[in-house]
Amino acid sequence: MSDARLPQPWGLHLDRSRPLRFRFEGRAYEGLAGDTLASALAANGVDLLSRSFKHHRPRGLLTARGLDANTYVQVGDEPNVAADRLPLHDGLSARGQNCRGSLARDRDQRLERLARFLPVGFYYKAFYRPSWRFWERLIRAKAGLGRLDPSSRPAYHDKAYLHADVAVIGAGPAGLAAAAAASAGGAEVVLIDDEPRPGGSLLYGRDPDGPARVEAMLHTLRERGVRVLSEATCTGLFADNWLAVVQGSRLHELRARSLVLATGSVEQPMVFRNNDLPGVMLASAVQRLVRLWAVRPGRRAVVVTANEQGYEAALDLREAGVAVAQVLDLRDQAGAQPLAHGLPVRHGWTVTEALPARAGPRLEAVLIDRITGQGRTAGEPEAIGCDLLVTSAGYTPLGQLACHAGARLVHDSGIASFRVEGLPPGLHLAGSVNQVFEPERVLDDGRAAGEAAVEGKPRPAPSADIVSHPWPIFPHPKGKDFVDLDEDQTVQDLRNAVADGFDSPELAKRYSTAGMGPSQGRHSALNALRIVQAAAGGSLGGTPVTTQRPPFLPESFAQLAGRGLEPYRLTPMHHRHLELGAEMMVAGLWYRPAFYGAREAIAGEVRTVRTGAGIIDVSTLGGLDIRGPDAAELLGRIYTGTYAGQPVGRTRYLLACDQTGAIIDDGVACRLAADHFYVTATTSGVDALYRSMLRWQAEWRLDADIANVTAAFAAVSLAGPRSRETLARLDGDIDLSPAAFPYLAIRTGRLAGIPVRILRVGFVGELGYEIHCPASYGESLWDLLLASGARPFGVEAQRVLRLEKGHLIVGQDTDGLTFPHEAGLEWAVAEGKPFFTGQRAIEVQARRPLTRRLVGFTLPPDAPVPPECVLVIRKGEIAGRVTSAAYSEVCGAVVGLAYVHPADAEPGARFTIKLEDGSTVEAAVTKPPFYDSANERQAL
Amino acid sequence: MTAVRPLRRSFVHRRLVASGGHLAPFRDALAAADYGDPTAERAALSHLGLADLSPCPRAGFKGPGTAEWLDAEGVTVPAINRASRAAAGELVVRLGAREVLVLSASEAPSLPDILQSAWAANPVSPRGYPVPRQDSHFWLLLAGEHAPACLAKLCAVDLRPHRFAELEVAQTQAMRLSVIIIRDAGSRPAFHLLGDSASAEYAWDCLVDAMRELNGRPVGLASLGD
Repeated sequence: MSDARLPQPWGLHLDRSRPLRFRFEGRAYEGLAGDTLASALAANGVDLLSRSFKHHRPRGLLTARGLDANTYVQVGDEPNVAADRLPLHDGLSARGQNCRGSLARDRDQRLERLARFLPVGFYYKAFYRPSWRFWERLIRAKAGLGRLDPSSRPAYHDKAYLHADVAVIGAGPAGLAAAAAASAGGAEVVLIDDEPRPGGSLLYGRDPDGPARVEAMLHTLRERGVRVLSEATCTGLFADNWLAVVQGSRLHELRARSLVLATGSVEQPMVFRNNDLPGVMLASAVQRLVRLWAVRPGRRAVVVTANEQGYEAALDLREAGVAVAQVLDLRDQAGAQPLAHGLPVRHGWTVTEALPARAGPRLEAVLIDRITGQGRTAGEPEAIGCDLLVTSAGYTPLGQLACHAGARLVHDSGIASFRVEGLPPGLHLAGSVNQVFEPERVLDDGRAAGEAAVEGKPRPAPSADIVSHPWPIFPHPKGKDFVDLDEDQTVQDLRNAVADGFDSPELAKRYSTAGMGPSQGRHSALNALRIVQAAAGGSLGGTPVTTQRPPFLPESFAQLAGRGLEPYRLTPMHHRHLELGAEMMVAGLWYRPAFYGAREAIAGEVRTVRTGAGIIDVSTLGGLDIRGPDAAELLGRIYTGTYAGQPVGRTRYLLACDQTGAIIDDGVACRLAADHFYVTATTSGVDALYRSMLRWQAEWRLDADIANVTAAFAAVSLAGPRSRETLARLDGDIDLSPAAFPYLAIRTGRLAGIPVRILRVGFVGELGYEIHCPASYGESLWDLLLASGARPFGVEAQRVLRLEKGHLIVGQDTDGLTFPHEAGLEWAVAEGKPFFTGQRAIEVQARRPLTRRLVGFTLPPDAPVPPECVLVIRKGEIAGRVTSAAYSEVCGAVVGLAYVHPADAEPGARFTIKLEDGSTVEAAVTKPPFYDSANERQAL
Repeated sequence: MTAVRPLRRSFVHRRLVASGGHLAPFRDALAAADYGDPTAERAALSHLGLADLSPCPRAGFKGPGTAEWLDAEGVTVPAINRASRAAAGELVVRLGAREVLVLSASEAPSLPDILQSAWAANPVSPRGYPVPRQDSHFWLLLAGEHAPACLAKLCAVDLRPHRFAELEVAQTQAMRLSVIIIRDAGSRPAFHLLGDSASAEYAWDCLVDAMRELNGRPVGLASLGD
């Protein structure tokens, strides 16, 4: 291990008794339990963590906080893992990303030489010549960060709901104080923190009692039952205080009555030439490295500061054995409150350039100069050798979550930073996100926010502490003065964006992409705003930062998708179908057997029904019980037919339309009693139909009750010339003789001990029975029918069978505009009824000439079977489409249904079908049914 | 003489078998009596256990006159979205102004049977209409101190004991299904879950998956009787 690891007592997070082995870029290293990957690498003297997105510049630790893209690495098949947020574990193996070759020898680093030819917005100006196609391959090869492995299996992610009276986000001093105050007020509190250990700056600041104070506060919170979520990141705040909280592989969906955002602030980088070199770090990063992970971040440091934290970092470094060569205070003497303690300090000085080492990517020296004005220096630079440059030029509040809820981050010239404005009710700020930095005031602010959250009352914003320098930007004539490290955007890039006419912050952001990288402007928005407004001649004060949207930190799709909660529905016979080798197909949420065995079996299944006895599981059909004195009246208003006179024990066809007259469903009404109809509906249509019925019934207030009993009943359709004898083999109390149980009748009784409702229907054109029974008996009923000699057939065979009869399927042979007369269903629309849904629209449409008509057609047996939805062409124009077609063995022809021009609708007319390959075939209009035109077989 | 194999199946019959359930007749159905470890199953009811009560009797009534008719039958109907215990221990659940659900874990004839017979035998009007809850809904019981945490992975309603009182009823979404959740009375949290019977296997799988990290397990009906 490198000597960058400091001895105890440094390293609050570390367990020195547990060494951990890991690999980075193929090399083996050793770290300690409690390290992050980044801290362990730093302890091993590894400076280079990544390559920048566009110019492939070397990048190292900047924030040590997991909030920037400098530390993004590839871990296994997961790209863009923040190394300064990733806990080290034994055997961890990571690689750098966005490089060709290795991080150290990235063959793409030569791209940086092209940087001056790639100014801001160059892609808008360049890639249309010679053509986009010319550039596309190159750009796609270079686009993106990290490597996706399409073959990788996603890890298990799930979701859980959380509830609280008060949710406190951030467990630094303000958050701890807020949680304590809220819990003392009797609220149920959840405290959320993205660090492995609560405490925030109390753990890495110079307060010697900080860690003990944290423990004491946590003890109190535990006693009060406060739930503390560590290593949990709030990625978004949505309506009604709904928080997305990512913790490991779980997405918590938290709903709280009140929220306290104690999310802290983020230190802002300075802008100068080569400000992105490894070895240039923020003061907070240095303090965290030293105190939390016992890492000495360099040997000789220069510190640039505009506030007390820079001095505190310098003192920490000195105590950790780092030589502090110089402290530069951006402020003049009068404004500074140095904690000098013998540190070599120059007031009114700044760094103007960082100089890289020849041997490696890290900083070797800096040039410093005296400040003479806003962004200007005397031009008399001095060089200081150092391998560490620490900057502390100011902070911006981490107010992104507040912005998700409608607040805004607005520049306040009085504090040279942003303030959160326009907080919605129920949202409270505490601590440095509220621009309060003085330690005791932070605790007071946290307490006040916690109390306000319990009381549900807003409170006035506290006075702000001034910790930010108004202009820590020192542009260099040779550039490489980076404002946005994610996107390699420099001062000149932003000025050019303004010069190109993109002179507002939102426009400049989009044109330059500054603030659009993974860091989402956390470390660039303030400086970018300063530069853009200065270049555009606008004022800073009151200017809002560009829109902040969720997620606060990048989220994986796996986290959003979570565990697959995709409901599906199975019929009671589902497993029997699988055991019989069925190929299942999806029908809405249901699974249905398409055919049994191979697709070639369909023809055999059709023959079974035409010659023997077949059974198909029709449990997915909708079922509604309509009961009450007004049941028939209700049906009469919903459907196009009449039902008041329907005899008990008989079934009748149902056709439902919406108010525009369009067909929405069909089925069968079975009258079980004078005040009881059992209504079937289509698999996919029943839920919408049921909702529609409830809505109408709420308006009509008829004396009728509607119950959706779809899942309560299993149903088997038994069809074929031998179906009666098949059914008769089962013990039952229903007389199956044609006289006692004629076509279109319904009977109730018991079949082999199973309570059943049996309908005599003829969807497939054979003697048939639709047997409905309570769902829990479904599998037994199926077994009994199989044992009785019936053979299963699937949905594909049923489609052929019904097509041979010319029966349409709502949704397949109709669309969202089909009205009954177009579909040849005018016979199902009763005349003279006072009302039914869609009646007026149908009457209006019926008075107009038809524009299309659904007809049956046939093709020669050797003709190709037209796929559904191929077009019908008439005089070069689209006249309609094929809705169904299949080869019919029994008819010896291809049969189908199609919408055609009304002039072509008479039997014997011919029309043209255009196939997918552009060829055409001539079809003959044929009046259905194509099979058993006298309909004798179903009435046997 | 060979015993007649019951004709009714639970909606999660295959899942019970796959989980090692010992199936035994329960009324006219097959139910998972146990999973081979009665001691562990009884313990799981305190910790986290999932039982399939789908074969157990239940009845529903809805429509005008439902509450009044039940009252006339001697059933005290609770407030909407509340449940109450009938004299023999059955749960009477008020789902709406005119909708009631009656649940019984008894193998012997009990209140659901009695009410269904009474409804058929006494054609007074109005008396509501029976709805086939025995077959329209699966019935699962999730019991144990970790049950709220388990359900928090599947349902947005706050079901923790101090927020969701005994005999309180939630008609909500869980697992993206419409469900009825009833908190039973007792020192340990126990929740009855009823939902679309065609989605029973899906729901079972969701619950088993959610239980895994909490060391929950399926339990048989035998363990409930102790």
